[in-house]
Amino acid sequence: MTAGETSPSRAKRRYAALAVLSPVLLLLVWTLLTVRGSVPPVILPSPSAVAASLWDMIERGYSGTPIGTHIAASLMRVGVAFMLGAMLGVPIGLLRGRVSSIDALFVAPSAILLPIPPLGLIPLFILWFGIGELSKIVLIFLFVFLIMMVNAQAGANAVGLDTLRAAQSMGANRWQVFRFVVLPSALPQIMTGLRIAMGTALTILVASELLGGDRGLGFVILDASSFFRTTYVFAGIILIGFIGLISDRAIAYAARRIVHWEGRR
Amino acid sequence: MTSPVLKFDHVSFGYNGRTIMRDTSFDIRSGEIVVLLGPSGCGKTTILNMIAGFLTPTSGGAFLDGRQIDGPGPDRGVVFQAAALFDWMTVAQNIAFSLRCARRSSAEQRRVAAEMSALVGLSGFEDHYPYHLSGGMRQRVGLARVLAAKPRVMLMDEPFSALDVQTREQLEEETLRIRDQTGCTILFVTHSIDEAVFVGDRIFLLTDLRTGDYEQFEVDLPAPRAASENRLNPEFIRLREVIYRKMLQRAPH
Repeated sequence: MTAGETSPSRAKRRYAALAVLSPVLLLLVWTLLTVRGSVPPVILPSPSAVAASLWDMIERGYSGTPIGTHIAASLMRVGVAFMLGAMLGVPIGLLRGRVSSIDALFVAPSAILLPIPPLGLIPLFILWFGIGELSKIVLIFLFVFLIMMVNAQAGANAVGLDTLRAAQSMGANRWQVFRFVVLPSALPQIMTGLRIAMGTALTILVASELLGGDRGLGFVILDASSFFRTTYVFAGIILIGFIGLISDRAIAYAARRIVHWEGRR
Repeated sequence: MTSPVLKFDHVSFGYNGRTIMRDTSFDIRSGEIVVLLGPSGCGKTTILNMIAGFLTPTSGGAFLDGRQIDGPGPDRGVVFQAAALFDWMTVAQNIAFSLRCARRSSAEQRRVAAEMSALVGLSGFEDHYPYHLSGGMRQRVGLARVLAAKPRVMLMDEPFSALDVQTREQLEEETLRIRDQTGCTILFVTHSIDEAVFVGDRIFLLTDLRTGDYEQFEVDLPAPRAASENRLNPEFIRLREVIYRKMLQRAPH
């Protein structure tokens, strides 16, 4: 065994311990700040008050709607937008990475759109797509699409020249090169893109639920904050945070399974 | 006398106004191993890339069985220095890649993968992924993958120069054994004199391709060529000295 490396099981235990320790520490600091009464509850409520509100939401819902319905509404928006954004962004990004004329078509629009804050688009989206589901989904979709396109393109650009040539010299046509070489070579970067895009989609979710409606975790947070019900704001944030944590872990797990060769060459 | 499989005919090549080679010609006969020997930057890989179809000559042309080469194809498989295996495919899938591209049945793909694994000494590793293999074994996959397509010429681009000496010598012997077994024709690029003399039937020492000059050496070592003993043969030692002295004369610095 080389110096500086520990056995896999010990490394895993240490990783798990540290991963649990950091949120526990955060919770401890949070508790200390609130217990001494130095911060007013309307600005920073105590963890126990937030837990009580969370429990209240789970038991009785929020503004007359069960919490499950709010969660489902948010998940549906993020889910649909995420799937469509990835399904469109990945192939276009891969093509941009390999075909310069396709890249030329997209380079200016994507560079202009990417830095625009989602909030800035909301007034336009209300005009164009109304205040129903469509405008929310399109807003999230747009940013997932852009992020996936950039990552897929970077992945496609990273294909080794020899790997491409090897495929061509074994008789692969353009489609076969794309399917058997470009796509798998880009997969590590695509999986990273999926994690970034999921995080961003959840961020934009709250903004998208500014676009009217009375369902969704973003709605819960916005509604509670306008009535200074800070404990419910925190409860809503925690629920979105959990969805983020679970989805990120799920994608990271899938990535390790799918891209099993990464880091092992 | 067998007719040439490959004809490299009055080829010139340059880019950005720089001449890499001018009016270079040679033939490769069926079943022989021709070695292009020279220091890095002499243009030996450029020749291989034109025959592979990765580069196009500025003038002149490369001909395989009389047909002008105008792009890569499975009749001219390439073994790369860094193997360039597909990390996401198993050994068997890597080996059968050319058959998969030609839409052959999966039964045939499996059969050829097993046959080629046996030929290069990889039986039992068909279901492994490349990252589980040593450098030498990865190059064996690279060889098997090219041989599976039954190429007219196998192009080997410094295939063993990243390996340790023992593995390298083993694979040189393997290359000769495979040639004896399959009768395949090989163009072999290297900067190692020892390797050139050991694997080559003919060696082209690329002295100055900008004038189209190269020197040709015939290797006259006893069969079976794959025998390690040949490395101690007086003819081996004589020829490597002759070539070494030529290279010293020509060394630009």
